[in-house]
Amino acid sequence: MSTRTQRLSRRNFLLTVGAGGAATAAAIVAKTPSSQSPSDNKDKRATRGYQASEHVNNYYRTTKV
Amino acid sequence: MIAPEEQARADFYGLLARLFYGPPDAALLQAIAATKMEGEGLGEAWRELSHAAAAADPQAVREEYESRFVGTGKAPVTLYTSAYTVRFTNEVPLAALRGELAALGLGRQPGVHEPEDHIAALCDTMRHLIAAQRDLAAQERFFNRWIAPAAEPLCNAIDNDAGAVFYRRVSRFAHRFFHVEQTAFEML
Repeated sequence: MSTRTQRLSRRNFLLTVGAGGAATAAAIVAKTPSSQSPSDNKDKRATRGYQASEHVNNYYRTTKV
Repeated sequence: MIAPEEQARADFYGLLARLFYGPPDAALLQAIAATKMEGEGLGEAWRELSHAAAAADPQAVREEYESRFVGTGKAPVTLYTSAYTVRFTNEVPLAALRGELAALGLGRQPGVHEPEDHIAALCDTMRHLIAAQRDLAAQERFFNRWIAPAAEPLCNAIDNDAGAVFYRRVSRFAHRFFHVEQTAFEML
C-alpha cells in the first residue's frame, strides 16, 4: 500500500470514529479558561504526590505551542 | 494548515492533559457537559463523560481528584506512568524520557522537580507534537514508547478504584481515545 493510500486510510478511520467531527467541540473544551488555581486551595493537604506548583505551571508552559 | 482530524487529536490530548493535571472547575465541567459527540466507541465514551460532567459538583470532583491521585503519602492511584511499566530495578525510564524530550526540544524549566512521566505531561507532549505538525512517525514513536505501555494499566487502575466516580468516566474516555490512537498509528 502506498504511503498516500495509508494516510488516506488513517484519515478516514479518524474521521469515522468521530475524531474529525468533534474537532470544534474538543477545541472549545480544551480552551475553556480555568478560574481555578491549584495553589489557591489552602485546604489542600501537604502530600508527596503531584502538585500544581508555579514551577509545574512553568513546565507546562514550555510545552505549549 | 493542520487537518481537522489532527486538530481534533491535539485537542483531545489537550483536554486529557488538563483533566489529569488537576480537577476541572465549574466552567470546564459545563463546557464538557454542553459538548456533543455522535457515534459509538469514542463517541459513547464521550457522552458518558459529558453526562458525568453535567451531574458533577466541582468541589466533589476536586476532592475526588485529591483523594485518589494525591492523597497523604502514597496516592491510591498514581498518574505517573513509570509505575505501570517499570519491571526491573535497573530500569531508568525517566532518564530516557528526558533525553527524548530534549531531542524534541522540550524539557523542564530550571528549578522544576516534578517527573515528566505524569500522564498529563505525556498527553501535553503529544498535543504539542501534533500541533507543531511533527512527523507522524515521530508521534508514533513517542506514543508507543511512553503512553501505550501504561495506558491500559493506568486506566484500569482508575476504573477499578471505588473512589473514582467522575474520573472513572475520564479514564474510560482516555482508554478509548488511546485505543483509537494506537489503531490509527498502526495504519501508517
